[in-house]
Amino acid sequence: MNTILILDKDAKTGLSEDLKERILRILKEKAHLVEVVELGRNDVTPCFGCFLCLTKHVGICVTRDRIADIRNNPNRYDMTVFLTPVIFGHFGSTIKCAIDRGCGNQNLQVVVGYGDDIDDEEKSTFIDLTRKHRGKADIVHPGLDKQVDVYLTTSSEDSEAICEAFRKYV
Amino acid sequence: MENICLINGSLRGKKASSLVFLNYINRMLADAEFNKDIINVWARVRESYPEDILRAISRADAIIMVFPLFTYGIPGALMCLLEDFYLYAKANGYNKAAGIYIVVNCGFYRPEIMAELIRVMKNFCRRLSLNWRFAICMGAGPVAAVTVKIPLLNMKYRRALSAIASDIENGGAGQKDDCFIKPLLPEPVILWWKAQYEKKMKAGAASK
Repeated sequence: MNTILILDKDAKTGLSEDLKERILRILKEKAHLVEVVELGRNDVTPCFGCFLCLTKHVGICVTRDRIADIRNNPNRYDMTVFLTPVIFGHFGSTIKCAIDRGCGNQNLQVVVGYGDDIDDEEKSTFIDLTRKHRGKADIVHPGLDKQVDVYLTTSSEDSEAICEAFRKYV
Repeated sequence: MENICLINGSLRGKKASSLVFLNYINRMLADAEFNKDIINVWARVRESYPEDILRAISRADAIIMVFPLFTYGIPGALMCLLEDFYLYAKANGYNKAAGIYIVVNCGFYRPEIMAELIRVMKNFCRRLSLNWRFAICMGAGPVAAVTVKIPLLNMKYRRALSAIASDIENGGAGQKDDCFIKPLLPEPVILWWKAQYEKKMKAGAASK
């Protein structure tokens, strides 16, 4: 199984690095091939909403950058893991640009948010953004992304629980 | 004279539906009564948005953000601006009384799918103790952008967008409900149109 782990290199914290290491350990234990992509603000171009990927160049993003390499080769990976800071109960802008551009694998995406200063409403907003709308709950593009799971960590204990849950994917 | 900041959260330039709504609201706010700053989000931001842009937002008495829904949330480009503004505001101060209005359009027929996006914006306001006013959410953005220009057909849109102007003129007090506007075209027509695009998209993905 090939996995790509996409994270925001400008928003690394002790919590995010610890979780990344734990996830990598689990994947490597099972001999999965893992590619870690650290994106920064300067590496990503936001989605322009040009719709060329739906019309003229179907399935291809015409913006040339690191995201396009990932996005235009969807079958290279079996699972995409996004590790994102949670800001206002939303993805950080760098990871949001990657998600908007369609970087996620269509079979399985795992979104993990992190932050040590997130209130209850922000936690619930972040979870609902994915759980109520993506994967099987997606009514706008039903079936486009088959499974999108979401987790959130604010502590080492949360990260431990996420790792336990993560084992089901491998 | 009040300062109004209008933010265009779309990167589509002149083709943007968001720009149509932004211009519509802009025309309702008299130039003689308001200082208006219009800010467009950028595709490439190196370190941070420049200080003059962040200062314009921080001194505004009303901030109107007009943008498309992307993956059920805020477009990455606008999120980048909000992150920079948050850091700038915390470090340099800002007008806490500023009223926040959002006008969002999505490609889908039902604007109710924007509920979580509204929660994100309310979280943003709560973090900065800003004065959340209300959201106007429109289904089938491109159809709405055409409809808004047609007299008589545009009644729902005109009423909703003029509510922003009158709320600003009245000082932005009291609680207002969010407004969800469905397009005039029937849902099956919009869904058929959307299905044509998706058929192409799925065929493209399968061929790779």
